[in-house]
Amino acid sequence: MRHWLILAAIALVPTGVYAQSAGEVERCFQNPGACSGGGGGQAPRPATAATTAPAPAGDYTTVLNSSEPERRRVQESLRALDKYQGPIDGNLQSEASQKAISEWQKGHGYAQVGKLTPTEAQTLHAEAARAPIKRIDPSQTATAPPTPLTPPALSNADALKALQARLAERRKAAEPKAEAAAQSLVKDLKAYVAADGKGTAGEQFPAFAKWYADNKAVGRTIGDIAPAIDDYGDAKSGAATTAEVRFETKQGDKTYSQCLVFAWIEASPRKSGEAISCDDVAAVEKWKTDQALKSAWR
Amino acid sequence: MTLRFLLSLVFGLTVAAAGVFAQSAAQSPHGKAERRDPLFLRFPEMAERYWVNTETMTASHKAVAVPMPKQCAFLYADTYTKGAMSEREVQDMALSTCNRRLQELGPLGENYNVQCQCRIVISNETYLVPRDALPDAAYGPVSIFYRDDRGNVARLNGVARYGALVGRDRSATFTVENPRGEKVCDGTFTNDSPSNGRFSLSCFDGKFSGSGTYQSKTGAPNDHIIARGQTGRGLPVVMSIGLPSQLAAGTYGGI
Repeated sequence: MRHWLILAAIALVPTGVYAQSAGEVERCFQNPGACSGGGGGQAPRPATAATTAPAPAGDYTTVLNSSEPERRRVQESLRALDKYQGPIDGNLQSEASQKAISEWQKGHGYAQVGKLTPTEAQTLHAEAARAPIKRIDPSQTATAPPTPLTPPALSNADALKALQARLAERRKAAEPKAEAAAQSLVKDLKAYVAADGKGTAGEQFPAFAKWYADNKAVGRTIGDIAPAIDDYGDAKSGAATTAEVRFETKQGDKTYSQCLVFAWIEASPRKSGEAISCDDVAAVEKWKTDQALKSAWR
Repeated sequence: MTLRFLLSLVFGLTVAAAGVFAQSAAQSPHGKAERRDPLFLRFPEMAERYWVNTETMTASHKAVAVPMPKQCAFLYADTYTKGAMSEREVQDMALSTCNRRLQELGPLGENYNVQCQCRIVISNETYLVPRDALPDAAYGPVSIFYRDDRGNVARLNGVARYGALVGRDRSATFTVENPRGEKVCDGTFTNDSPSNGRFSLSCFDGKFSGSGTYQSKTGAPNDHIIARGQTGRGLPVVMSIGLPSQLAAGTYGGI
């Protein structure tokens, strides 16, 4: 009961007295400090050292929400002007970025808020473009100690590359078998369609037989059949393949694209066959887990 | 500039590699996982597989990967094997599935100010990361859509944090932070059934508020909560928790 009263009270807050334009709400979301206090009948927040300065009135969200290359460019411009020594990562809200922006703003008589308006960003870029190109002093580089490279960093990077290379090699080796398995499946699927719902494909993949029957019942005919390997590898009872097969189906003058993932263990006949909707990623993954598929593909 | 780029690349690969080369459970000092830990309360279907389902709970190796840091953990991947794979291979598979799911859902840059990256957090019932780094509540990318009386739509993206037991407890509170990590809204979910109920939302000290109903949706593209309601002035508000901004906008942004 008390809860209902609280909910009712929240719903009845006299929000109508405040501007609720979409733009205003977005600005408040980006800068809640400038909006909170005095709203909803609550007492204004006490002024603190951080909030004694007047709230910035400029548009500080456009640059913050700009694309990553644009944000990186801001950092690069700051670096070109010797204001910023941090990473070029596009994070304009890092302490180093905000400090650098504040410092640059200070030198130009702008409010030191650590964020840039679009106009300020343009000024910054223009200034950076005019900055002289710095050359490395050879005498300094000769005496400077070599930058230590963290051994684990390099070994991890190398190990990652090695892993990627190993995966690529394993996949390359598996490709002929996987392709052969998929082509064999497509041949059986086409034979099943040509025989109007008869053949091994329907026996090995009951869900496909049902899918075919459902399409036939609504007057759809099957056109092109195109496979793509989803996964391949050794499983607990043989080589396992999962292939995404796209079917072009036609009904009157309309053409549809439908997709099934076929999963099976290579044998004669195929074992553990499943046909799963391509949308049902979890079911496909579950089949692989059930079969203990050790992927040579991913 | 080239040297800096190379160093950045090395650093990036190192960070990526740190996730790939997860350690063995036997070497981990971070303790045993338990059924009632927040991570399992957050993902009950995973808890079912990890602790209850006989097919999976008795696996020879099992691994759980979630995006980290903790506020990024809005999806997961759990992988099991019955002897066919090594512990390392199971970890690799969980990591690969987690990363693929993260990639499929789209960019997170409009929601988070941190880099979300999948890590193996549990292997064979042992934590591989410190417990204080693990999610202690439910987190997820949040998008709030609001259409004003002129037809303009506000799109607010950030991160929501809420009680892990939405739907199981009578009510759960939540907060919304903007991408700068500033708390901007709070609210309540009150359940009518395990998968739906009512919500209220209040932002900027009550300057913007609304209420309505919510529904928990499981499965593709990702488990999420969709809440639809109105402000006090009768204008529509939609909030989704669990989908990155672009996916949320594509799915629910046309209010």
